[in-house]
Amino acid sequence: MTKVKKYWKGLAEIHNDPIVEKLKQNEFTEEIPVDEFLSDKDIPATSTSRRDFLKFLGFSTAAATLAACEAPIIKSIPYVVKPDEIIPGIANYYATTMYDGHDFASILVKNREGRPIKIDANKSATNSRVQASILSLYDSSRLKNPKYNGIDSDWNTIDSEISKKLKSIKNNRGKIAILTPTVLSASTKSLINDFSNKYNNVVHVQMDSVSYNGILNANDSSFGVRALPSYYFDKANVIVSFGADFLANWLGCDYAIDYAKARNPESGKMVKHYQIESTLSLSGSNADERIQIKPSEQSGLLYNLYTAINGGKADSRIAKIANDLLKNKGKSIVVCNSNDSQVQILVNAINNKLRNYENTISLKKPSFLRQGNDTDVTMLIKEMNSGKIAALFTHNVNPSYTLKNASEYNEGISKVDLTVATSIYHDESASKMMYSLPDNHYLESWGDANPSHGFYTLMQPTIAPLFNSRQFQESIMIWMGEDNYHQYLQNFYKDIDWNRSLHDGYFTKNINDKDISSFSSSVPSFALLKSNAIEFEVYEKISMGDGRQSNNPWLQELPDPISRACWDNYLAISAATARELGISNWNVSNGALNGSMVTLKVNGVTFNNVPVMIQPGQAKGTVSMALGYGRTAAGKCGNDIGFNAFALGNGDATIELVEGEFEFAATQLHHTMMGREIIKETTLKDFIKDPYSGNHKETYYTHNGPQPADKVTLWDAHDHSTGHFWNMSIDLTSCFGCSACVISCHAENNVPVVGKEEIRKSRDMHWLRIDRYFSSDMTKELSEKEKISPIDMYSEMEEPSANPEVAFQPVMCQHCNNAPCETVCPVAATSHSAEGQNHMAYNRCVGTRYCANNCPYKVRRFNWFQYSDNDKFDFNMNDDHGKMVLNPDVVVRSRGVIEKCSMCIQKIQEIKLTAKKAGRRVEDEDAQTACSSACPTNAIVFGDVNDETHKVQALKKNQRAYKLLEHLNTDPSVFYQTKIRNKA
Amino acid sequence: MHPKIEHKKMILIKTLKKYFLLTILVAFSTQAFSQPDGAKIFKQNCTACHVLGETKLIGPGLKGITDKYEKVWLKKWINNSSELIASGDADAIAIFEEYNKVAMTNFYFSDEDFEALFSYLANPPVEEKEVVAASDVVVEDGMKTSTQLMIIALVLLTAIFTLTSIKNSLKESLGQQTESVSGAVQSNIKLFLSGTLNKLFLVFFISVIVLKFLYDSMMGVGVTTNYQPDQPIAFSHKIHAGENGIDCNYCHTSARKSKHSNIPSANVCMNCHASIVEGSIAGTAELQKIYDAVGYDPDSRTYIPGYEQKPIEWVRIHNLPDLAYFNHSQHVTVGQLECQECHGAIEEMDVVKQHSELTMGWCIDCHRETEVKMEGNDYYTSMHEKMKEKYSGQKITVDKIGGLECGKCHY
Repeated sequence: MTKVKKYWKGLAEIHNDPIVEKLKQNEFTEEIPVDEFLSDKDIPATSTSRRDFLKFLGFSTAAATLAACEAPIIKSIPYVVKPDEIIPGIANYYATTMYDGHDFASILVKNREGRPIKIDANKSATNSRVQASILSLYDSSRLKNPKYNGIDSDWNTIDSEISKKLKSIKNNRGKIAILTPTVLSASTKSLINDFSNKYNNVVHVQMDSVSYNGILNANDSSFGVRALPSYYFDKANVIVSFGADFLANWLGCDYAIDYAKARNPESGKMVKHYQIESTLSLSGSNADERIQIKPSEQSGLLYNLYTAINGGKADSRIAKIANDLLKNKGKSIVVCNSNDSQVQILVNAINNKLRNYENTISLKKPSFLRQGNDTDVTMLIKEMNSGKIAALFTHNVNPSYTLKNASEYNEGISKVDLTVATSIYHDESASKMMYSLPDNHYLESWGDANPSHGFYTLMQPTIAPLFNSRQFQESIMIWMGEDNYHQYLQNFYKDIDWNRSLHDGYFTKNINDKDISSFSSSVPSFALLKSNAIEFEVYEKISMGDGRQSNNPWLQELPDPISRACWDNYLAISAATARELGISNWNVSNGALNGSMVTLKVNGVTFNNVPVMIQPGQAKGTVSMALGYGRTAAGKCGNDIGFNAFALGNGDATIELVEGEFEFAATQLHHTMMGREIIKETTLKDFIKDPYSGNHKETYYTHNGPQPADKVTLWDAHDHSTGHFWNMSIDLTSCFGCSACVISCHAENNVPVVGKEEIRKSRDMHWLRIDRYFSSDMTKELSEKEKISPIDMYSEMEEPSANPEVAFQPVMCQHCNNAPCETVCPVAATSHSAEGQNHMAYNRCVGTRYCANNCPYKVRRFNWFQYSDNDKFDFNMNDDHGKMVLNPDVVVRSRGVIEKCSMCIQKIQEIKLTAKKAGRRVEDEDAQTACSSACPTNAIVFGDVNDETHKVQALKKNQRAYKLLEHLNTDPSVFYQTKIRNKA
Repeated sequence: MHPKIEHKKMILIKTLKKYFLLTILVAFSTQAFSQPDGAKIFKQNCTACHVLGETKLIGPGLKGITDKYEKVWLKKWINNSSELIASGDADAIAIFEEYNKVAMTNFYFSDEDFEALFSYLANPPVEEKEVVAASDVVVEDGMKTSTQLMIIALVLLTAIFTLTSIKNSLKESLGQQTESVSGAVQSNIKLFLSGTLNKLFLVFFISVIVLKFLYDSMMGVGVTTNYQPDQPIAFSHKIHAGENGIDCNYCHTSARKSKHSNIPSANVCMNCHASIVEGSIAGTAELQKIYDAVGYDPDSRTYIPGYEQKPIEWVRIHNLPDLAYFNHSQHVTVGQLECQECHGAIEEMDVVKQHSELTMGWCIDCHRETEVKMEGNDYYTSMHEKMKEKYSGQKITVDKIGGLECGKCHY
């Protein structure tokens, strides 16, 4: 029984003072003399009357206004000695290499007045993380000073201490371990080699946060090469992927470029892509046919496929695949995401049997993007724990976060005498080390990379280090008693034209193919298992990857292309399994998505209150969770978001529904198109028969017979016969939803981050969004056939299929030539340009939001708050470092105005001006927007349709071209190309 | 266009043409009959190494030099000093030794030039401590509105006076009672105010004037024409761009290439002022500020090693708001505008002030009137033909290629 405690407010109450009772009734014990005051006859005669007060008020307001009229003095401070290469207002571009231990890209960096502000692709594609890494440079949560046991120290002290300790370790013949991610840099490897020569007993361990140990070991045992193969997806006719998300994260490579080349419907030939997986991946959503399996079935099915192509009987699910593969020997690729080397040997056997090696797959020209070795890591941890390691140096790794057995590793650290971390962040691992030393961001570093056979890239600093940091290589050299890594690097590549290669950012070397032995492994066999357990699988999101950049607000707010949710990870579950477990997702009154929470137990690790999202396409009986979340030492914006799936690993899961609901931040609340033709699509077969298939124009009935919308118009057409007419074509067949364009747009146009709460209120600010649509089992045709009432039909249409077809559609301002927004603006803040764009003058906007209301595409964004310099939105725009990434050519919008895609007008104006100054026309390759330049597959093509040298002119006349919601006759300057699927 | 305005314009153009011809004539005449100017020769050739005082620069100060040496000897020295030294001339060798064996550049002046130079050196201009400001010459470009109004008022008053006296004399002749001028005015005003319509008209008239005044003052908020702040260095454009004729682009290099027209960095100043260590107005005081910035010792003519350089904090005069995008190179390189068209006669300003309003109306007015320079620029080639068809007979002004669209300057 609960005891009712009595509390006293003071001694007076204990003593039952009458005043207590009086105070309870009336706050003021004595009557306030209001009447007396009002009846005072002298009031009108007092010096300050009400009128006087108003006079003073008026005067002070006027005075303040007048005082404010005086212009502030603005200083203009030129250089004392101007560097030759810098012209204020003109960008410089530097070719360099992005490699942070997980993502690799050869990039061009745009520099304005010495600040890198934008990343463009150079010799490889860029994904969203590469694009966003420019913001990670300006992360004020980075490690700023060298620390000794968590206390700021200085480099000199630390260097002398470390050198001294190293010497004594050498004298005692102690073992030194260097733990790094995959090292792509040949010069760094050589440095580590020098280091090990100097200090004798040195072991270098490479560790990938997401391990590819299985495929590496399999290739070692099959061909005698411990490397990744190079895949030529453009040469394949059939691609069979067992869970490998090669379009997004698998192998850390940009296969999307080649894949898109193999999917050109105009050529009449498209690669046939089968995806067999349990989690709906980006590759799976672009596959022509997708088969859902449980992870435990993978090896059995692969073995079945192996026997089938060797003449055995195929499982009914993959009979067609086996058939297709046999028909395309030497022109197919089979890939698998398994990290079991036995399974990967089986995949090698299949590819070998299909004669794919050196046709579509090459190990003679291998890729080096992943070299981590799990055995070495396990060994290292064991040795650390047994006290055999005297010194541990780590560089850019976070084992305390990414290792499944992180606790073992953490324990091991305490048994090592000298622990030194060189890291960009004071992260989960670095904070446990004795010395935690700030490393340079890759944009502040010198370096090189050898991502694939014979191909090299160079890394050069594009800004002086922002903090008191020093790059790992320089540190290693200093601890060997040397310095100047830049010189070392240059000497290392004595045989190349240094300046030329540095300018290009890459160079190639003609070197002989790698010697490989012919396939020589005993093929393991696997039984086709049938498990009733719910199986758990981890996956990588295109935004977060392995969580290295989880303190990057752009990436946190980038909606996952499949679930369209951001700022979280969650347990993805199929609708059927969710029903069985009583799990549901629902929308609250403002439309935001809420979901059930569960207790999740995998491999003996329990997570409480895990949110569950019902994900169409997730295989029945499986659940999955993204890596990269659940950070505890990432920084102010990445900490304590979601759960660390690294700690779980794949395995069987126990799920228990618990009380409570979770609030998701999803940017798209609908799943299907509800029978409307938002994305027009057709099959390759139909397309070859009729190029207009799937692209019929809707017509209106008129007295002149049926007419398309543009013939039934009330609008006076704009005259676009002279000058430029900027148009954009978006090919839905080659848009894979990778979202690199979204981040590119963020960086180019100073798009603010608004945070989870605002996203839940549908106040996201993305100028460019990638809509994702699932197919539904219910169609209009089906309802007519089965006589289903329209109400039932539409409610069923809302439900996506269990194994849906997926389509992506980038939507930005469509730049309508008959713009609904322009006609409703009361202050003419949005108006039409002769060059086909819909302009938005922020300083004219008064924020009525009529335009956003009248926009059929819902692309206009309202600044509900001041997102810069506002502590309530503590992201990059509220941070002196973070603000350095802003593009000085684009205004930072303030509160109360609408903003939207401008078709990168600043870039258009710039290329026009460049052309005018050079006295030439605008070249096709110069005409780029942020999104089109970031698109790895060239799905987005931008240009001037009035210029016959621009590709976009032909694309506008293409049979596949259509305009979004064409029947509204908005006549946009953006148009789409129908999606073609290669299916029967 | 209205025929009257057209007519006025014609007259204006004719007048301008007259003045133009006159200017050219004057220019030619001064050119043709000009005598060698000693001061000019000195400034152009000698100031890099010599001053007119006693200070030593690279070479000796030239005060009283014509008294010290023979003219013939001086001519020889200036024409070819090394020859003179080689000939074993004692004076020449002494100077050569004194100035660290740095040979003087050879100058080949004509005899007239020499005479002019020597007479200038012999009678250097007296240094005036206070520079007398040139008297303000007000260019009368037509009568001012206020003067016009006053004249009208005067005419009206005279009219009233005359009419009243006529009326009086008429009344007198008729034997009626006469009234004074003031009385007449008063009675007329009373008469005028007795009508309701007239009263209304008066109220309307006054409110229009008040509103106009209010409107003008409100529109003037934020317009900073003639803004002339004090600068950290009393740099004179009049001396540099005007008298010395240095091209604007020599210092403001990025105006042709970039959106910004840069304020030159101090190292650009040092291109000349490494040797010109004394200015004509402020002497060494102002130049010392540049040396303080870059770390230069004008006496030894060396840069101070390890000096911590301090940038010069100029005060920005032309402040467009951030919401407006302006690009210098578009106007200077593509539009081929002269700097003065927006910045005024900078070459006549000792202290620069804002010449133009820099308001949106000002921008737009110019865009409406300025013809696009399409000839000879291949960018416009195909566009030009189609435009000519579209606007046959009209000028293709900036607004016709989208120069008035919001998004062109606001993004």
